[in-house]
Parts: sequence; structure tokens; C-alpha cells
Amino acid sequence: MANIIIGMRLGLSPRNSKQSSTSNESQSQALAISSDSPRLIKHVYDAQDQIFRTVMRAAGSSVLVIMAMVGIFLALRASEALGKVGLGFFTIQAWEPDSGNFGIAAVIAGTVIIAVIAVSIAVPFSLGTALYISEYAPRRIKKFLITLVDLMAAIPSVVFGLWGFFYLQNEITPVAKWISQNFGWIPFLSVQGSDPNDPLTSNTIFTSSSLIAGIVVALMITPIVTSVMREVFSQAPIGEREAALGLGSTHWGMVRNVVLTFGKGGIIGATMLGLGRALGETIAVYMIISPVFVIQPRILENGANSVSSLIALRYGEATQMGMSALMAAGLALFILTLIVNFVASSIVARSRSGASS
Amino acid sequence: MFRRRINQVVAYLSLSLVLLSFSSSQAQAADYVPVNGAGSSWSANAIDQWRRNVVQYGMRVNYASTGSSDGRNQFKSGTVDFASSEIPYGLKDGGVVDTLPSRAFAYLPLVAGGTALMYNLKIGGKRFTNLRLDGETLTKIFTGVITFWDDAAIAKANPGIALPKRKIVPVVRSDGSGSTAQFTSWMAEEYPKIWDEYCKAAGRSTPCGVTSNYPVIAGKGYVSQPNSQGVSGYVSQNANEGTITYVEYSYALKTGFPVVKLLNDAGYYVLPTASNVAVALLQAKIDTRPGNTYLTQILSGVYNSKDSRAYPLSSYSYLIVPTAVSGSFTQAKGATLGDFAYYYLCEGQQQAEVLGYSPLPINLVKAGLEQVKKIPGVNAKNKDVSKCNNPTFSPDGSNLLAKTAPMPPEQDREGYTGPITDPNPGDSGSGGTVDPGNNGIVDPGNSSNGGGFIDNGGVIDSNIVGPAYCDNDTGICQPVSAAAVTPPSGFGGLAGVVQTIALIILFFVLILIVPFLQLMQRKRR
Repeated sequence: MANIIIGMRLGLSPRNSKQSSTSNESQSQALAISSDSPRLIKHVYDAQDQIFRTVMRAAGSSVLVIMAMVGIFLALRASEALGKVGLGFFTIQAWEPDSGNFGIAAVIAGTVIIAVIAVSIAVPFSLGTALYISEYAPRRIKKFLITLVDLMAAIPSVVFGLWGFFYLQNEITPVAKWISQNFGWIPFLSVQGSDPNDPLTSNTIFTSSSLIAGIVVALMITPIVTSVMREVFSQAPIGEREAALGLGSTHWGMVRNVVLTFGKGGIIGATMLGLGRALGETIAVYMIISPVFVIQPRILENGANSVSSLIALRYGEATQMGMSALMAAGLALFILTLIVNFVASSIVARSRSGASS
Repeated sequence: MFRRRINQVVAYLSLSLVLLSFSSSQAQAADYVPVNGAGSSWSANAIDQWRRNVVQYGMRVNYASTGSSDGRNQFKSGTVDFASSEIPYGLKDGGVVDTLPSRAFAYLPLVAGGTALMYNLKIGGKRFTNLRLDGETLTKIFTGVITFWDDAAIAKANPGIALPKRKIVPVVRSDGSGSTAQFTSWMAEEYPKIWDEYCKAAGRSTPCGVTSNYPVIAGKGYVSQPNSQGVSGYVSQNANEGTITYVEYSYALKTGFPVVKLLNDAGYYVLPTASNVAVALLQAKIDTRPGNTYLTQILSGVYNSKDSRAYPLSSYSYLIVPTAVSGSFTQAKGATLGDFAYYYLCEGQQQAEVLGYSPLPINLVKAGLEQVKKIPGVNAKNKDVSKCNNPTFSPDGSNLLAKTAPMPPEQDREGYTGPITDPNPGDSGSGGTVDPGNNGIVDPGNSSNGGGFIDNGGVIDSNIVGPAYCDNDTGICQPVSAAAVTPPSGFGGLAGVVQTIALIILFFVLILIVPFLQLMQRKRR
């Protein structure tokens, strides 16, 4: 039940609610089978219940149907492109659909890199914010803080993009430069084409990088990650909390041993949900990155890529084959996001059942 | 609890609506139906100005500057009523022909302009504003052959300038764009060998020809950005030194950054000013065969114009309009579109020069006015072109702007060896007085000022601060009013700071108002 409430509050895809209703059903079936008497339990619903069930079932299944249709549509439109390059679609890094030389290796890798950066910045922030709001904040300002975090989610992504492009980029390049000079021996922090001894090296090599895009996306996923974590923390059982405090634990000890232990699943789930959102972020990334079509693991260096920004950039002038190729890229992202979200929601759901036991 | 939250959201929304309605102008459509268009960001500055102007007549023209390719595709699929584009349908791009739309359409000339090469380069801590390049060097820069600013080829065109050994960072468009098409069509036509070699290295099939998507080789230090705003915004960021991009001249004027003086076939380094573009476009061949290519341009003559004033990268863009009612396009929309077209072809062209474009020559305006009559539902008019006040028109039908355009100064000639002493290299003596104590609007080569793009001749008015444009014929200078005049180095003066702080405070008040109300409500309970 809690699952449904959270799902509705956060405006998540209703897949969550659907899932929990099926699990309820299977539970009741399991009950019916495993009970001692072989008597067949017959549900008798009155008219109101029947109508309610039908409406809910239709609503729930329509979501699945729409999802399936999106998938089928993408697959159909993508088939032309997939047929042309075959398995090369997963290994080729270039993107020249009209020359028949295209694949998503570089694009998917870029998407994942940006999303991972975003998550690794957003999660520590969110964890701290959520813990403070749920455990430490005075009651008076708690509500205020929650609204503030929710408001952050209301900022349009194009605003984040503009801010990232015109402001953050300039401010972050010296930082990126410093990191690359001092930690350049770590492969993914190195920057090719920058010479610390040359005063005339351009700053441009540090702009439009995966890092800058990742920071902006991190700000965009922070609210949702914080909300989910806060919700999970506030559900840590009161009995155990009081037991811990009663045994002489400090506040921090209680938080560590009760709240964080019970909320572990929720933290993981929230992280995965954030990852799912970060994977699909379009406009902010589109405005910041300078697309390159090679796998570029050096996150401080100019050049990044993501599936959704590729689609936004290229659909306009796409030819028939180009469109099909973009659909195929979209399909790959769709499946990836689906997997991430599915894993996330199942982890969140499991952590709930553990907490309530 | 839930309802309370909803109430608050409603209150918040209505508050912001009230705030918004204060700022928005009263635009009421009398009997015009709004029309929607999309396309070229190259022409967007002009279209945006015109559509703001026609609001006073009750016309609502919506325009999204999403790029030429997108505009053409949206027009093809019928989602917009008109499109604007730098290139016509039917060109071959990357081996694939852009098919014609199934709906009936016609091209109207939109506005002429030069594709400028905007750059950000400092020498000795001061912004360099007098860069001169020849076509081959430019092509080599954008194809990765020349990679440093102190390359011998660049030094040869800029004698006496200590160019820094800084990497050249070409900034190209990451989306499908008509500017890219224009620029690559020039490279493909003039320097096919260099261009094809680059294309091949980038994994394209050769001959490469014109393309809307700039091919980029990873690791070569190229930067790709979406839209004209994106590339000009990137180059104009102070820290992004060594960048160069191709963009409509209007955007360079807007951001206050200098553009390259390009060498023409007559051996002069020229800027993409309105008059230089008008002169170059005299050599454009207009396709006058009736049919689907009517009024499209053949630019090879422009690239090789022998006039010493011609800017080689000149062209004009098109408005693509439907000539039959189909889908969502109705007679009523045709009436709006027709009147808008009449407006911009005639009165609107006066503003082209101030906006950084060049007014259309008389032959194109006349042909365009005839084309407008093909739009279904149009209130056909017989516009008297002599009343348009178009600066290019003269009573005898010749191009006045081209006739009176000032010759480039001698020191901009290729191979000029004399001393560059004139503090105002652009003054070619059109009868005006030059204010020697000018406030740095005109740059003698390498000064720190960002506004050094006005050396086209004419009079310098020291009262004008910031980007200005001087009329060569009348000698009158005016500030570029349609553009946001922002000096590249942040806010100038105390007023700007105060304004910014006030805005920030207002912003915070707006953000905090909801939680604050919430607190108040809780206290009362």
C-alpha cells in the first residue's frame, strides 16, 4: 500500500501500482491453494466491487498496453536500420546512417557515463538531505524543507541547461583543469591535448564534457532521489528506534543502526530510480555536450554523447534511414531504462516488506 | 492535506499568471488567424523582429527557430504552415536526396546575409578584432589541416601581428543546419579536394558535397553545439579562447564579437556587411524556370565575384509557403501568411541592415511579391515597390546599395605592405567626419574592445556606446537597437548590479512564498 502512495505522490509510472496489485493477487491465490481444506473459495462481489475491479483492471492494463505499443512501434520503425547493420549496431561507434555505418556503442556508453556521474554526485547529497529532513530537522521547518526540495523538481530542464551552459561551464573548467593536472594519472580523469606547462592551452578542452553534463543532470535527479529516501527513512519502525535509544544509543547510533539498516533497500532503489531518470535526460544534456561518436571515457575532456540528445539533435533532418536508426537507438534506451526502473522498483518494494515485518 | 496543497498550487499559479500578464503586451487578433512556422535559425533574428512588428496589425505569427532541416521536414509533414530554409528541397546530402513535399509549395526570398566567421582570440591579453583570412586557409582551419593560430598561412594574411601559438578550436553545429549547408556548399564548390579528404577521414562517402550535418572527427579538438545561439554563445564565453565558428553575421553583432575579414577574388579582405553582401549577390543566378525550383539561387558566381567589395559567403534564405489548401492550412491562415509576406518583403526589409542582414535586391522583391499571390486565401495586393523604402532600390531598378557601397580601404588589399596608421581603417571617405576621439567602437587592429566590427566606412558617432551600425550613404550612425547590447565582460555599472540583486531577491521571494504561507497556516491552527 505504501508503495502505491509513494508511486502516486512522485508521479512515477503506474507500473509500481500495477505490480503491487498483481502481487496481492498472487498472495491471495497462494493462500487459497496452501490452505488446509480443499474447499474452493468463491469470491462473491457485489455490483460496486465488480465495477471498481473492472475499472481498475482496465486502467492498470492500459498502462501495460501503451508501454507494449511504444515498444512495438519502436521495434517496427527500427527494423529497417537494424536489418541493415545487424549485430554491428551494438559494436559500431560511428553514426552515419546514410552511409550505412552506424551503431550505438559510443552513444550508449556516453549515456551511461553521464548517468553514472550524475548518480554518484546526486546520491551523497540526497542521502544527507533526506537524513537531515527525516531525522534531524526541527519539526517547524521540516515541511518547509520538503517543499523546497519538491520545488527544485519543478525547475524546467531547459533552465538547468541554460544555467549549465552559460554559467556553470565557465566556473567548472578551472576545477576540471586542477583535477586533471593533479589526478591525471587516473585514466578516466586524464585529459588528452592539455599541457599544464603551456600557458596558451585552450580551456575549451575542458568544456562540454561528460562531467559538466553529469553535474547538471545530478541537480535534476536530486529531488526525486531525496523524496524516495526520505519516505523510506520515515518508515523505519518506531519500535526499533525507541529500543535503540532505550539501550543507550546516541541519535547517530540509532540512525546508523535502525534507520539506515532498514532503509538500505530504499537507498538502493532510489539510486536506481535516479539512474533511470538520468539516462533519459535530454535538453540539459543536449545544450551542454559536444557530441562525439567514439567511446570517450575521459570524463573531464570535451566530447560526450547521449541517446536522447542524439535523437533531439538529429531527428530534424533525418532521412528515412536516419529516422529508423534513431528509432533503434530509442529502442535501446527504452529497454535499458525499463530494466533499470524495474530493478529499482522491485528493490524498493522488497525493502518495504522487510521494514513492516 | 491534499486539498490544501492543491489550493496552494492554484494560488501560486494564479499569482505567477498575474505577474506575467503585467509584462505581456496586449496582443489581440482582430480578424487574423495565427500561423505557425519553423526553420532556419540563420534568419531567425530577422523573422523574430518582423513578427513582433506585425503584432500591431493584429497578426500572430509563431516561429520556432529549430534549424532549416527541421523546418523543411515539418513543412513536408504538414505540422507547420510555413518554413524557412537556407537551402531548397531536392539537394543531395550525404548521398541521400531530400525529397520534395507532396503538398504544393513555393519559395519566397526571405532575407539576404553573410555567413560570418566569428572568433574569440586574444593577443597579449587584448581581444584581437582584425583577423584576415583567405578562403583556402579558412577551409583548412575547418578541416583540421591548420591547427594553430600562428600557422604560416594565417600569419601571411595578417602581417605584423604576433599571433599566439594557441590551438584553433573550430566550433561547428551539432544539429542539422542551413548554415552548415551554406558553409559546406562553399567549401565543396571552392576547395573540393581539401573538403573531400576531410569528409573521407570522418567516415563519409566522397564526393562529400553539401551537407547539413557537419562531420566531426573525434579527438581533433572540434566542438559541436546546437543552434546558432549555441555556437555563438560558446565562442563568446570569455574563457573559450581560440574558438572560431560560422554563424549569421547578426549573431556576431548581437554578442559583440569580431568576425573574420574574408579574402575575395578581387584580392580584398572584406566583412559581411549589408553592402558587401548586396554587392556579392548581384552575381547570384536566380533560377527563373517556372516550377519547383523557381527563385532558388545558384551561388557559384557569388563565391567568385570579381568586385572588390563582394563578400564571398553571401546568400539569401527562403520562406517556403504552401500554394494549396491542405491539412490544417486554411484560406484564413493564407490571408495572415500573405499579409505577413507582403509586410516583410516591402517594409520589413528596411530593418534588415540594422539586424545584421542585407536587404533583398529589387528583382527578388518583385518576384517574391508575385509569388505571394499563389498563397490560397491571400488578399492580393499590387504593392508599389518604390514606396517600400528599401535601401537597395533606386528609381531605375538597379541595386542602390551595391552601387553606393564603399570600396574597401587599400590596406585591406592582399599583399598591402604600407604602414597601417589610420586609426579608422574602414573610413573610405564617404563624406563624413571622423571623430578621432571615438570611444573605441572602431578598432585599429588589436584593441581590447569587443565592438570592432564596424570598419565598413562611414561616420563614427562617439555618442553611441556598444555595437553600432553606420549607414554608408547618409553617414548616420545608430545603435543596433534590436540586439541586446551586452558587453562581453559581465554587467557594466552599478545600475546593472542593483538590477541583478533586485531580480535575485524577487526570485527568492517567489520561491519562498509557498513554504512561508504553509508555515503561517500551520501557526494559525
